[in-house]
Amino acid sequence: MHQDEIPPGTLYLLILKALARGGELHGYEIASWIEQVSNDVLQVEEGSLYPALQRMLVKGWVKAKWGATAGNRRARYYRLTPLGRKQLEVEVSQFERVVQAITRAIETA
Amino acid sequence: MEWLVQLGRRILMLLRQGHFDRDLAEEMRLHRELREQEQVERGFSPKEARYAAQRRFGNDLVLREESRDMWGWKWLETLLQDVRYGLRMLAKNPGFTAVAVITLGLGIGVNTTVFSFVQGFLLRRPPVADPDRVMMLCGTNPKGGWMPDMAPVSAPDFLDWRRQANSYSGMAAASFDSFTLSGSGEAERVPGGQVSANYFQVLGVAPIRGRDFAPGEDQPGHAKVAIIREDLWQQRFGGDPAAIGRTVKVDGQNYTVIGIEPSRFRIWIFPAQLWIPLDFKPEQLGSEGRKNHWLLNVFARLKPGVSRAQAQAELAAIASRLATDHPDSNKGWGANVLTLGKYMADTSNTRPAMTVLMGAVIFVLLIACANLANLLLARNTARQREFGIRAALGAGRLRLARQLLSECVLLSLAGAGMGLAISVLGLRVLRPQLNWNEYACFVAREIYVDKSVLLLTLAISVLAAMVFGTAPALQLSRSGPAAGLKENSRTTSAGRERRRLQNLLVTGELALSLILLVGAGLFVRSFIDDLRNAPGFNPRNTLTASVSLSGATYKDPARQTAFFQNVLRQLATEPEVRSAALTTDLPFEFPGSASFAIEGQPTAAPIELPSAGHFLISPNYFHTAQIPLLEGREFTQSDNASSAPVVIVNEAFVRKYFPKANPLGRHIKINHGGQTGPGSEIVGVAASINEFPGQAAPRPHIFEPLLAQPSDTVKIMVRTRGDPAMVSAALRRAVFAVDKDQAVTNLRTMERVIQDSGQGDDVMAELMGTFAGIALLMAAVGIYGLLAYLVGQRTQEFGVRMALGAGRGEIVRLVLRNAMVWVATGTGIGFLISLALPRLFAASFTGFHVRSGLILIGGPVVVMLVALASCYIPARRATKVDPMVALRCE
Repeated sequence: MHQDEIPPGTLYLLILKALARGGELHGYEIASWIEQVSNDVLQVEEGSLYPALQRMLVKGWVKAKWGATAGNRRARYYRLTPLGRKQLEVEVSQFERVVQAITRAIETA
Repeated sequence: MEWLVQLGRRILMLLRQGHFDRDLAEEMRLHRELREQEQVERGFSPKEARYAAQRRFGNDLVLREESRDMWGWKWLETLLQDVRYGLRMLAKNPGFTAVAVITLGLGIGVNTTVFSFVQGFLLRRPPVADPDRVMMLCGTNPKGGWMPDMAPVSAPDFLDWRRQANSYSGMAAASFDSFTLSGSGEAERVPGGQVSANYFQVLGVAPIRGRDFAPGEDQPGHAKVAIIREDLWQQRFGGDPAAIGRTVKVDGQNYTVIGIEPSRFRIWIFPAQLWIPLDFKPEQLGSEGRKNHWLLNVFARLKPGVSRAQAQAELAAIASRLATDHPDSNKGWGANVLTLGKYMADTSNTRPAMTVLMGAVIFVLLIACANLANLLLARNTARQREFGIRAALGAGRLRLARQLLSECVLLSLAGAGMGLAISVLGLRVLRPQLNWNEYACFVAREIYVDKSVLLLTLAISVLAAMVFGTAPALQLSRSGPAAGLKENSRTTSAGRERRRLQNLLVTGELALSLILLVGAGLFVRSFIDDLRNAPGFNPRNTLTASVSLSGATYKDPARQTAFFQNVLRQLATEPEVRSAALTTDLPFEFPGSASFAIEGQPTAAPIELPSAGHFLISPNYFHTAQIPLLEGREFTQSDNASSAPVVIVNEAFVRKYFPKANPLGRHIKINHGGQTGPGSEIVGVAASINEFPGQAAPRPHIFEPLLAQPSDTVKIMVRTRGDPAMVSAALRRAVFAVDKDQAVTNLRTMERVIQDSGQGDDVMAELMGTFAGIALLMAAVGIYGLLAYLVGQRTQEFGVRMALGAGRGEIVRLVLRNAMVWVATGTGIGFLISLALPRLFAASFTGFHVRSGLILIGGPVVVMLVALASCYIPARRATKVDPMVALRCE
């Protein structure tokens, strides 16, 4: 099965979206969710999630809390803040604008 | 707002660094393990699963660093790293570090100390409101004389100026003098001023208690009121608020105290602790009064928007009108307007000394900077290889420059700390030595380390450190890392360029320190000469004091005489007193002068008469002072107003006016206040005495009997059996026994009088000597450092030479020959410049006369010797090179 690198700049969008469904996820869950919903087409270089998450912590888009996994292991769970929700909207509309523009460019033969 | 919250989060992260790293590592490990587990579940072998998990995750070290960088503290980390590394480097070279820090510290320290002094003496802003707007209005004296552009003003001129000038919001006059304050407590002499009622208003100083003079209180017929200064109030009234309204006696007249001015109100050229209103006497206002140009100091505050130049032009016009209207008194007199601050700076005689000191410390700073530059250049050359390796391993130029820069900053900070310590210490040591007059004592109390000076010298030295410290990094960026690696120890063009710069620096250092050494030598020599110079009398075991009679009763000359005769009689009863006498001026205080004509010699016009130092003395004066009487006799009780006039002259007088004849029995006519008196017979010849330290040739002096011309201000001189300081109580007692309302001031031993007349020459000699020592030491370190470095670089060459049969002497000669070229150049340049110093000093300091030949020759010799000595150690080291080791080390 072929896997694609995610387009640059969309990592934040994907993480925000993953968390936007409500609830708290740890890093592995976020990575798994992205692969799963994109039918394994989109694959993150999994480690790069973490610098991104740190930046989002600085920006105040997410909050982190230590908790236990189902297998009773310590894991850091991330949760969206109201600020993060707003940021998601911004990122989504930005992404859509870009995609529309690119689509138009491709379709006008 | 959001950025603040973010900053808070970031700082929190900084505080929990340890946690942060562990958390991140744990979180990442969990991720990899979960992935591994998933792979295993899909049927991969454990080994394959682990590799896959790792592949998909990426480099976790890099990722962790990236994660940390997200918090924006990278710069801080780099900085800390630099500082740590810098500290390690400095600690690894303790010799280099110590010399660099001490050099910087001395450069900064002595500059800060001296400039703080200059600030205290010359640049002190007068303690008045908006001082730049307060002007001194002065006359300009067509006849020249002492400070002709800053002459005081006569009463009628002042009144005309005040009426006619429009540039000022207020103009006030003052006449400063000292007064005898009595009435409550012991009588004392206090400095004070008679001032216009608007004086304090013009200066913008308000009383801390009570009130200012009211308008019109300076008009005749007003109640007599006085204002005193806080310190006098504390000292005399214990700070009692009820002092206001009390009556005190000022020169015997009753005055009511109405106000207290703050202690900080001191204008040192016009010392005053007591002010009374200035009212003019009729004779001061008439046309004769206009001739009295030396009466008043005039203060004025410029109106807003008026410049000093405009005020000056206006006052000059008024003065020239007055000169036309009153030619007999004002012909040629002009007017000069200058700020109070400038007036104060110009009247202080400390300016030339301060200028020389400033020059000296700037030399020290230059030498310090040159030394520092040299040290850094030499050291960084030695580190060229290190930089090359680091650059080759991927360090950016900027990163290298930053590294060097932080080392320099560390050095500079240490140097600054040391400099601050030195200046605090320096001020502490010097403060008690500033005691030659009241102003010096006052300045000493208020002198402090000047912040702006400290910052400025710090900036200069740090800049020097930066420029020379980072030069290698910049050079590296030009040539690339390979050049740094290749340039091991020898001959690349960059190396030669640098060596030329270093030679230049050392040459300059030597020249500067020679100039400083010669300058200091001149001062020290002059000071030692002064000490050695016999004053012409015996100043030991002699106590002096001053008494100014106050009160209406003592206007009568007979009473003045009676008073002082009684004091002398009282003193004679004291067991500790050997003898006592009176004089109008002590030795080493400039005497007044009188013009005279010699009978039997052709008379000149009154204005061209010769003049000599003039003293009025009591009987026993020469005996008490132990001034040898060469011929004739002293004055006796019978030489008084009713006897035939007699005079005693000194040896210098005889040598000048009676070179061949016997002066005894001859007559001279002394000019007393315009009228030429009857001829006085010369009855004695005394040995000459000096008037100031280091006087080259004594001046002619004339002595007349005080009994014939009584004075209300007289100095008492007491020859004591033991320690003169123990007799001061007896002296006071003798005066108070005659009249308890008279004040005794200026109680000093004669030795102290002489010392004070030097005006801090001792401090000057000491400071200059210290600076020269510092400079020489620094230059020596500079030469040593450079030569040690050069020898280190040529180790291999020396090894080869010795292997080929060169002897030790030849190697030493080889090293020294090189060094001696710049030692000679530096000394030569310094010598040429220092030739100008004796003349320069003689022009700036009165009475500066030193036989400079020895110093001009000796200075270069000392510098050469020191230079040679500091060359010798590295040269010796060159001969210790083992040829085999030297050759193998390549």
